[in-house]
Amino acid sequence: MPSFFKKKSQKGKKTAEKQKKPAVSSPLSEVLEENLAVITSKTGNSTDIIIRRLKHSPRFKTESAIVYLKGLTDTQTVQEILIESLMKSDPVEQEPSSMQEMVEGYLPLGIMESLKDWETLFQALMSGHTIIFVDGFSEAMSTSTEGGEQRSIEEPSTQRAIRGSREGFTESIETNISMVRRIIQNPTLWTETMTIGRVTKTKVTIMYIKGIARDDIIEELRNRLKKIDIDSVLESGYIEQYIEDQSLTVFPTLYHSERPDVVAGNLLEGRFALFVNGSPFVLLGPVVFIQFFQSIEDYTERFYISTALRLLRVLIFFISLIGPATYIAATTFHQEMIPTQLLVAIAAQRESVPFPSFVEAIIMEVTFEILREAGIRMPKAIGSAISIVGALVIGQAAVQAGVVSAAMVIIVAITAIASFATPSFGIAISTRLLRFLFMISAATFGFYGMILGFIILVVHLCGLRSFGVPYMSPLAPFVPADINDTVIRGPLWADRKRPSFMSGQNQLRQGEETGRPEPDKSRQMVTKNEGDAQ
Amino acid sequence: MEKAKITAYQLFALVLLFELGSALLVALGIEAKQDAWIVILLGMIGGLLIFFVFYRLYCFYPDCLPTEYLQKIMGKGLGKSVAFLYMLYNVYLAARVLRDFGAMLLTFAYIETPLFIANTLMILVIVYSVSKGIEVLARTGELFLVFIYFLAGSGVLLVLFSGVIDLHNLQPVLENGWKPIIKTTVRETIYFPFGELIVFTMIMPYLRDAKKIRNVGIFGVIVSGISLALVMVINISILGVDLTERSQFPLLSTIQTIQVADFLERLDVYFVIALIVGGFFKVAMFIYAAVIGTANIFTVTPPSRLSYPIGLVVLILSMTMASSFPEHLKEGVSIVPLLLHLPFQIIFPVLLLGVAYWKNRKHKKQGTG
Repeated sequence: MPSFFKKKSQKGKKTAEKQKKPAVSSPLSEVLEENLAVITSKTGNSTDIIIRRLKHSPRFKTESAIVYLKGLTDTQTVQEILIESLMKSDPVEQEPSSMQEMVEGYLPLGIMESLKDWETLFQALMSGHTIIFVDGFSEAMSTSTEGGEQRSIEEPSTQRAIRGSREGFTESIETNISMVRRIIQNPTLWTETMTIGRVTKTKVTIMYIKGIARDDIIEELRNRLKKIDIDSVLESGYIEQYIEDQSLTVFPTLYHSERPDVVAGNLLEGRFALFVNGSPFVLLGPVVFIQFFQSIEDYTERFYISTALRLLRVLIFFISLIGPATYIAATTFHQEMIPTQLLVAIAAQRESVPFPSFVEAIIMEVTFEILREAGIRMPKAIGSAISIVGALVIGQAAVQAGVVSAAMVIIVAITAIASFATPSFGIAISTRLLRFLFMISAATFGFYGMILGFIILVVHLCGLRSFGVPYMSPLAPFVPADINDTVIRGPLWADRKRPSFMSGQNQLRQGEETGRPEPDKSRQMVTKNEGDAQ
Repeated sequence: MEKAKITAYQLFALVLLFELGSALLVALGIEAKQDAWIVILLGMIGGLLIFFVFYRLYCFYPDCLPTEYLQKIMGKGLGKSVAFLYMLYNVYLAARVLRDFGAMLLTFAYIETPLFIANTLMILVIVYSVSKGIEVLARTGELFLVFIYFLAGSGVLLVLFSGVIDLHNLQPVLENGWKPIIKTTVRETIYFPFGELIVFTMIMPYLRDAKKIRNVGIFGVIVSGISLALVMVINISILGVDLTERSQFPLLSTIQTIQVADFLERLDVYFVIALIVGGFFKVAMFIYAAVIGTANIFTVTPPSRLSYPIGLVVLILSMTMASSFPEHLKEGVSIVPLLLHLPFQIIFPVLLLGVAYWKNRKHKKQGTG
């Protein structure tokens, strides 16, 4: 065994050496024409790259040019502010020593940066900056002029809430970050940006609240992100699959949300948020299993109602997981457990059905999965056709043709509705898959197989971790202080502490004085007028 | 030893599930007729005494597995061989429980399924869980404890609503005096299930808060003893002594008497769940102890590598240990308690404690003087 490990470590060294690539970027030239030639050749003379020469700018004694990408920049800013101020300003009196000095005081634009090598220059150009070149300087200035068309803020299409904000994230990372900043107006809300993706150079931003989030978790996140070396990041799901603790599981170990208020709430519990440019889904971690059963309006409703709803969601989870499996096990192996009258009814229905109940269930479940998939892919205009076909095929026709029994239709329908009612798509989709495994185990070994399957499932869930936090906490390991916000939701005033696994030292989230609201004045506050009738 | 820590509550959950494991299903101490519950409570007191022996041993060597402190107490060679005997004992008990469990499952639900298949499935699940380590096993225990007690609570309520409990079945108390009670206690309930707590000596060093171990042990033994006694009281008061004695699975017969509103009846699934979950935890604890101990004796790292081979041994042993179920039961009643349980659970630990006490007293005198 030791020799095996040695080999492994040597292998690791080799790959590490390979990855050390020369990242020295070539510097810019002093000659303007040479610089512009590099740009046109490197971008393959792309038509959306605009090079505007400013021959007689009073600002610069020599020739100059600005370069920007059409569509990514805000045309108004470039034309009205940048070009105008460069063309119309007063002539310089003395020779400036650097470009920065020359430009900075005269351009009414926010972010200015001096660029000296091509790699950073192209990165700035491609993200929508405008680059200013001046002949005779081996540097260029980039000004922030990002703009262009974007989707406006809309109501989130997933994770709808009855009572809660109507804002949903968009594809622009700046907009998304600002939406969270608007909710948490505190300087301790820290962000860190890095670019990931060799080709796509996608901006990825970590956001956390300094002092609440645990530093070791943030450090670990940073390390995991740094290790990612892939071509493209097209959605936050790409990042998710590279920073998971365990990839061999059907359960999501990171949460994604489209709602700024959910992100803000999670940041306040000590989690981090990960914004990926181009994705309206923000990743949140570390997560626990029970989080997937929570919804934002749990916290705005009265706690009795929220608790009841949460218990309902757990029930929904179990129905969508073992609904058909239980029916199969009961009808195939354990008929004695069904009450006699019901058993007679089921037997009468099944008399004309040629299949065992397992085959029957598989037929119905697969049909349903096909319909569901079709419903997502179909153009909206013919979407209603699917529901008609589905209702007829799944419903009446199949029963009348004697392919499946009516009881099976009920079971599949309940299961389907249950899986739609699960608040998180991530969990709903994993239960969809596991449901088939449970059906197989029920068909081969009845309740014995199902219970064994359930034990394996629980053991697997208990073994998962998300950024070191046990997945089943605070249920297992049991943390009494955190139980207030799990399958039950205690009153907000009783929820004094943040989840202990996420937040390090800073645990209290309520002042000592804030307790159960019991205003003493309530009774005497409104006194009856003397003249009022009893 | 694994690098893992478990909390006091997790240990408590494991102790409880382990104790209830298979004891819940059989007619425990029925030789004492309607006084079986007294026998169980007496066995519990005996179990507490045995637990104290284990606990004192643990106090002498709080950071060591028993396989290590056996070597410290008895010397390297002798200690290792005794430790190995203990591991064989664990494997044997795991196989016994597995056989019990498989046979029970087949008799009442899957008559035509071969025993080998039922046992293989079970051992696969167990081995998978054991290879995940004690932390995962402990967390699973926590979740299932709530689940089992939820089932138990609802079961008791349903039994009450069915109106079948007749407490006269428990009378007369002490019909034949204390003698048969003491006899059954000494011959049965002390060892099974309480003496089997010796497995937990292999798990005590994992506890995060060493101070709590005494309370966890006492509390665990008492709660499990009371639960078992309660179940036996319910069994006897519903079925009567005669039926409880003759029934293969008194708990199943009890559950089958549930009849509420002509709808909630034949809740055999309660029994199936109790049987499988209990069997799972009992066998898993024995196998875990065997795996971690064997890995420690032969310095195998990581220990989880041993779980598959040991699981295979347990599986084969469970098939070959007896040629029929009656033979298996006969062995369990007349041979195992005297030849295995008595020396391994009581005589060895007490002797060890004596030697350890003597050795450490000398050390202390040297240290202070």
